Amino acid sequence: MITDVLMFWFLALVVLGSGLAVILFTNPVYSALSLVMAMVGVAAVFVTLGAYFIAGVQLIVYAGAVMVLFVMVLMLFDLKRETHSFAAGKISGALKLISVGLFAGLVVGGIVMSQGYFVKENEKSLGAASATQSVNTVAGSQTNLNVVNTDNTKVLGTVLFSKHVFGFEALGVLLTVIAVGTVALARSKGGTHAKH
Amino acid sequence: MGNDAFEITINLIKLVAVFLLIVQAVPILVWVERRGSAFIQNRFGPNRVGPLGLLQLLADAVKFLTKEDFAPDKAIKPLFYAAPVFALIPAALAFAAIPLSVPLEIGGYVFRIQGYEMNVGIVFILGVSGLAAYTILMAGWGSGSKFSLLGALRASAQVISYELALGLSIVGVIMMYGTFNLTEMITAQQGAMKFHAFGYEITSRFLPNWGIFYQPLAAILFFAASFAESNRLPFDLAEGEAEIVAGFHTEYGGFKMLMFFIGEYGHMILGSSLMIVFFFGGYGLPGITVDEVRSWAAGVTDGAAGASVLTTLIHFLSFTVKLVLFLWIFIWVRWTLPRFRYDQLMDLGWRTMLPWALGNTILTALVIYFTSVLI
Amino acid sequence: MNTVAAGMPLGGVIFMTIFIAIFGYILIILARLIGGRRTNNSQVKRDIYECGIPVQEKRETKVSVKFYLTAILFILFDIEIIFMYPWAITFKDFIGSGQGAFVFVSMLVFIAVFIYGLFWEIKSKALEWD
Repeated sequence: MITDVLMFWFLALVVLGSGLAVILFTNPVYSALSLVMAMVGVAAVFVTLGAYFIAGVQLIVYAGAVMVLFVMVLMLFDLKRETHSFAAGKISGALKLISVGLFAGLVVGGIVMSQGYFVKENEKSLGAASATQSVNTVAGSQTNLNVVNTDNTKVLGTVLFSKHVFGFEALGVLLTVIAVGTVALARSKGGTHAKH
Repeated sequence: MGNDAFEITINLIKLVAVFLLIVQAVPILVWVERRGSAFIQNRFGPNRVGPLGLLQLLADAVKFLTKEDFAPDKAIKPLFYAAPVFALIPAALAFAAIPLSVPLEIGGYVFRIQGYEMNVGIVFILGVSGLAAYTILMAGWGSGSKFSLLGALRASAQVISYELALGLSIVGVIMMYGTFNLTEMITAQQGAMKFHAFGYEITSRFLPNWGIFYQPLAAILFFAASFAESNRLPFDLAEGEAEIVAGFHTEYGGFKMLMFFIGEYGHMILGSSLMIVFFFGGYGLPGITVDEVRSWAAGVTDGAAGASVLTTLIHFLSFTVKLVLFLWIFIWVRWTLPRFRYDQLMDLGWRTMLPWALGNTILTALVIYFTSVLI
Repeated sequence: MNTVAAGMPLGGVIFMTIFIAIFGYILIILARLIGGRRTNNSQVKRDIYECGIPVQEKRETKVSVKFYLTAILFILFDIEIIFMYPWAITFKDFIGSGQGAFVFVSMLVFIAVFIYGLFWEIKSKALEWD
């Protein structure tokens, strides 16, 4: 489908463009905001892949929670010195150019080298791909599509709570450890809320 | 987005219409708010321009448009101008995912009365409305004023704190309906209330099958959290006039200010709509299923198209009435309750609502598990 | 049956975002064109807001660490809540297939850890604002 291809290229442009903006902006706040844009773009890419729940998680956790912290912290600091040191200097300018070059090279290399690979993969899984495509393109009925997509999340839940239930519990413990550690750090000596 | 050019065009027009629905609702809401507050506080309110002061909205719009467009020297111009524009987006995007009525069926086409059908509706709405924190931060930092920055800091901390209670309070709802899809939720709430107990099926005669009767605690928590999400009293610490002038929009005036208003009212409309969808049967009439309405409409009108139009209209009206009621509650609460203190606000979010929402989740799971095992 | 908005609603979301952004900018430009512009711009007018005294420059913002703490704790609890969503949506299916008790207990353990974390935060007064 031509619209799928167009959508992919549009999203790729958004994600890569905002990714480039992250490293090219001299002001860290702009960089963080561009990173938010990149996160939202990645969420949209997940939607095109049919991973609706993962897209939502990307939007809620990365774009809505992690980046809020980043932006908040950057906005509260006095960034004059950082902005200056990012904006001036031959060495940092050279570093920036080199990193942009490396990044562009990686992207181009990735595209060029993956082309052959994907063609082969496509040939291999042509049957499966055409089957899913027929589900997606025929659009015979909305309900049918809905079933497919809701089951997607349900399958995720089923696998998570039957096969990977131990990892799931371990994750809960890990998150609690991080929470406790954060508070302990904030209350350690020298902080504004140190123990007396 | 549809199968042919006609459908795609209709869809795009629909999206524009949903956005304009929010935008045109704002002046009316402002009028209702000002008249309502005057009524509550025993004063007159705007009553000079037009009958009942109704043309006040028009006068306000003209006034906003003719104000000088102005940014202070210290402001960071790109962010200062971008923030009000982005304030419009999150609420409108989320509102477009809410089904407003029964799909319209005319001549082989089925038109959904909603911007777009999202199969993970709740997750999408939570994710998109969470992005509203950025507009606040952009406005606060872009203004270059310390009052704005402090207001933005407070507002974003408040919004993210209450997002937890908001997200957790609807886990019970999701568990009950077993879906993320808003249309399926509304379908599950149709008709009279009925439940299975001890091998009998009991049908209530006067109670509708609404979520509020199954999840009362979740409804209260959700409603309180949606007040905090839309930054309205008693949660409007973001613009506590006595402390930080006007919060994150201290430096804004004229039309840019109005756009922040539209964003705030958009969040209000979104919160009310979600409340209706989760707990008050969505567009459904209380106690009556869509099929009953459809068969009645088929009897009244001739032709399938006419019946479909009538059904859709009736349900849209039902949704609108519920929406107006909830918006009035938003306004009513604003002019009745005083503002919290900041520590009280954070206490309520983290130490009261979060544990209660967790308790609600566990309780719902227990009830669902034991009713399914025992019966 | 022909359906509108079948398949990906992503196009609609992107269209709406772009439409609103253009709409908003047009409004701002319109307000700029219609709104008057005084030529006499004094420094006082172009200053940021201050309560009747000369503008106090913000030198170094020292903000309470509680704000950062709130944001970090929000991320952690948000992730925990997100993990409850697939559980909530599959819970009835699990009960139907007879695995209800196992899934219920595994989630109870998760919630117990969650509650322990929350309780610890409350006890350590990390969530107390003064």
